[in-house]
Amino acid sequence: MNDNTQRIEQFKAEVAGMKLRDPATGLDRLLVKLGVIGLVAGPGFGIAAWFIAHGTRNPLQQRDAIVVALLGLTVAVVGGALFVKGAIAGFLRFWMARLCYEQQAQADRIAAAVGSPSGNGHEQAERVG
Amino acid sequence: MTAVHPHAPTGESDGRASTPIVELRGVRAAYGTIEVLHGVDLALRPGEVLAVLGPNGAGKTTTLEVLAGLHPLTGGDVFVAGRRVNGADPSDLARTGLCLIPEGRGIFPNLTVRENLRMASHGRRSAREIEAAAFERFPRLGDRRKQIAGTMSGGEQQMLALARGLATDPAVLVLDELSMGLAPLVVEELYEQVASLARTGVSVLVVEQFARVVLGVADRAAIMLHGCVTDVGSPHEIESKLSSAYLGG
Repeated sequence: MNDNTQRIEQFKAEVAGMKLRDPATGLDRLLVKLGVIGLVAGPGFGIAAWFIAHGTRNPLQQRDAIVVALLGLTVAVVGGALFVKGAIAGFLRFWMARLCYEQQAQADRIAAAVGSPSGNGHEQAERVG
Repeated sequence: MTAVHPHAPTGESDGRASTPIVELRGVRAAYGTIEVLHGVDLALRPGEVLAVLGPNGAGKTTTLEVLAGLHPLTGGDVFVAGRRVNGADPSDLARTGLCLIPEGRGIFPNLTVRENLRMASHGRRSAREIEAAAFERFPRLGDRRKQIAGTMSGGEQQMLALARGLATDPAVLVLDELSMGLAPLVVEELYEQVASLARTGVSVLVVEQFARVVLGVADRAAIMLHGCVTDVGSPHEIESKLSSAYLGG
């Protein structure tokens, strides 16, 4: 088997092993939604825990309420992380695409100005820069 | 490489039985409510070069974007290495070895040549190996390794895009308008590289508006008009049909 056949076989194996995500499920969007739910539900747990703790003099029940409050805190922190990850990923994708486009446009303008046959390239480059 | 005529039995149009490495069956795609691909059928066999020609607005770029997972399908199927990959993530497809070099080069203009090449070192090969291979294939890039990519000529930028694509060790190379905005001599030089690459067994799907050079490299060619593949055949056959296809005669 030559290198090329090997590469094609490897390609086939990798495609066969590729995990296909159903685009309809929108995992990213789902995670952001879960994050928002966590952000809202977390403090809810905390408030509920406060009422539980204040509604009883039983120390065991109050300790349970502390556990509930800590769970709420955890849910809020994880939810916040998911939300921030999703929001930042979306923003950064857009920002990077825009940056690439603007830098390409700027580089094209500079290259056009420097290479201008009109002989005033340096003047134009200074103006662009 | 074989272009499959719409509704022709897949894999038999040139008498060979090899399974297509890439196949589009009845692919439909839209921008919003406007459908731009109306059932595209194409098949690319291992180690072959397929040129897809057609005027501006025929749907060539959209076809490539659908293939690379960058644009959603509204109908039909995309098969890569025999597997249906509708909805596959573009990064997953790229990682397996399907490399798209987009129209407009797609390099990082603010990075140097070396840094651009290093961006492709996430795969199987080290940055050093990638640089060595790229500079061997395109010596001019070696001379400009520290130059900011955006300040190079259009041809050199296209060389860099090609070198970076090749650095990922692609099994299938998809080229969109390689000749765009370049001088004929540069285009010929680039297509010589594509031809030498094809000789090593990489399958190449190339989309072009300007046919002359690419038909010299292609094993088969197809004409695309109004979102459909209207003709397929040998480069010679397609060349004779091009003027009527472009001018509607």
